[in-house]
Amino acid sequence: MIFTIFKKELIDTLRDRRTLMMMLVIPVLVFPIIMNLFVTISASFQKEAASKTLNIGVLGTKDNPIVKDLIAAPEALGKKKVVFYTDTALLRKDIEKDSVQLGLFVHDDAAKLLETFKPIAINWLFDGTDLGMQERAELYMGYLEDKYQNARYQALNINPVEVKPFFTVYSNVASDQKMIGQLAGGFLPYIFIAFGFIGCMYPAIDLFTGEKERGTIETLLTTPVARWQILFGKMMVVVLSGLTAATCALLGLYFSIEFMNVVENAEIMAIVKGILSVKFILTLFLLLFPLTIFFVGVMIPIAVYAKTFKEAQSIITPLNIVVVLPAMVGFFPGIELNAITACIPVVNVVLSSKELIAGTLEWGYLALSFGVMLSLAMLSVFVSYKQYGKESNVVAS
Amino acid sequence: MIKVENLRKEFELSRQQRKELGTDDRIAVAVDNVSFVCEKGKVFSLLGPNGAGKTTTLRMLSTIFTPTSGTIEIAGIDAVKYPQEARKKLGFLTGSTGLYARLTPVEVVDYFADLYQVPKNKREERKKYLFNLLQMNDFLGKRIGKLSTGMKQKVSICRTMIHDPEVVVFDEPTSGLDVITAANIIQLIKDCRDQNKTVIFSSHIMSEVDLLCDDLSIIHKGKLKYSGTMDDFRSNMEEPNLTAEFIRIVNL
Repeated sequence: MIFTIFKKELIDTLRDRRTLMMMLVIPVLVFPIIMNLFVTISASFQKEAASKTLNIGVLGTKDNPIVKDLIAAPEALGKKKVVFYTDTALLRKDIEKDSVQLGLFVHDDAAKLLETFKPIAINWLFDGTDLGMQERAELYMGYLEDKYQNARYQALNINPVEVKPFFTVYSNVASDQKMIGQLAGGFLPYIFIAFGFIGCMYPAIDLFTGEKERGTIETLLTTPVARWQILFGKMMVVVLSGLTAATCALLGLYFSIEFMNVVENAEIMAIVKGILSVKFILTLFLLLFPLTIFFVGVMIPIAVYAKTFKEAQSIITPLNIVVVLPAMVGFFPGIELNAITACIPVVNVVLSSKELIAGTLEWGYLALSFGVMLSLAMLSVFVSYKQYGKESNVVAS
Repeated sequence: MIKVENLRKEFELSRQQRKELGTDDRIAVAVDNVSFVCEKGKVFSLLGPNGAGKTTTLRMLSTIFTPTSGTIEIAGIDAVKYPQEARKKLGFLTGSTGLYARLTPVEVVDYFADLYQVPKNKREERKKYLFNLLQMNDFLGKRIGKLSTGMKQKVSICRTMIHDPEVVVFDEPTSGLDVITAANIIQLIKDCRDQNKTVIFSSHIMSEVDLLCDDLSIIHKGKLKYSGTMDDFRSNMEEPNLTAEFIRIVNL
């Protein structure tokens, strides 16, 4: 009987355009679209930046050695055109108007200061909203500093090695996989959780509130099927659609990575592919399955209680935020899976997945997380069962 | 046969409902001490104005609601103790019955045949019989959402009768329907009687009652006001017509 209900509800759900959009179309397309936009926009920005000639306004004389060296700086540092100014206010104004992107102020006595080995004050002006300009200024300064520092070492007959007290080496002992897991590992479960929730939402409302609203529930309740069987048949469809939506989102993400050259570094790409092993995917599903049941178990009592589709939607939609916020914990560095975090629903799934990706998962904590989620899933199913058994909730009036 | 004894149904009122009704009572009695018998091969009518308790009574008979007290026997089965067994003998149709708009008539009928566990060979026989009887063959493959009200009502009838129930419950079956569709329902009720089924239907349309009814009960504010045969009702009338007599009894 459960399978009969499941089969009918599945057919009914798969014929609902709104559910199909939320369950299949949007999850599959969202990442390719976002990634495509990201790749296209960043490529066009890079292209524009490489071809764009930077106007540098200089407050100083043409015979200033630093200005001369700036003009002579290699084109590899970016195309540039130097314009001379005598009025600071005008230069500032032109930077604000974006007719000039960088302003440079060098004291006229720079040559004298160079000769006497004194530090020279250099001021760069830029518009902070014009992204990347400070970095361009730093690039030119790096070039000039290297040049003048080496010149001073030579003039003073100093071996640069003798004035450098330390040769510091910072070695990252973390593997690339661990780094990826820690830095980006929170993203994967976040997607799964967010889309899993959205994927469950419409079928849950349609199959419970919708059935009540359309008046089909009464006839169903007069058939020789126990209420728990009806509940489980419907619940299975909602869980399946949540898992399908989440899987579709992950597939969309995978195809984006695979075919859209989002990850240009071949080594990182190899690690990403290595992470997506069968074992990893199965463990991820093992964690996310009870989580999806938990979501469904939370949504069903609301959907059963609500009198109309609109009412159910208005209660369940804000829940999305409640679910997504703990899922974002995965993005914060430093929060790790331990005995406490393993007991916090949603957070435990995110952290377990993150550590799973990083290859640092402690299986004891995974078992604890799974146990917690399973208990909550069972509890939420029990609450759903109780709510679905109430006459006032099941029949419209 | 349906046998109902001392049936009572109480509903707990929410704060909102108490406010709306202007009462401090936490409990509302929808049906109070109602008893009647519907014989096999007869049409029993449950009459009453809106809010009288007809739908609640029929929902208890159909096992959608559990009575607070009292007994219900459907085709020899205690429907309170064994609701699932009783449902196998029961067909239920209301005027407000919804259907699954995204399914076709065949899919809906098959779904209910599955739920009633109708054996495959009997199912095909019943489907063929009902589809022909109700002239449904032209729209069997169309989605229900695209059908007219009359066609939908035919699907509802088919769904109700697919397992050939011994007892059929009609809750205001013609409410909101056009004349032709309502006539189909009236014919179905007559057919059920001819097939020796137990039929109970609720209505407040006296012309339907006059046309179909063998026995009747009048219910008002949850209490039984009259119970007897239609012939007795007609012969003991104090008013010139059925509607006036019905109003008189309700106001007693």
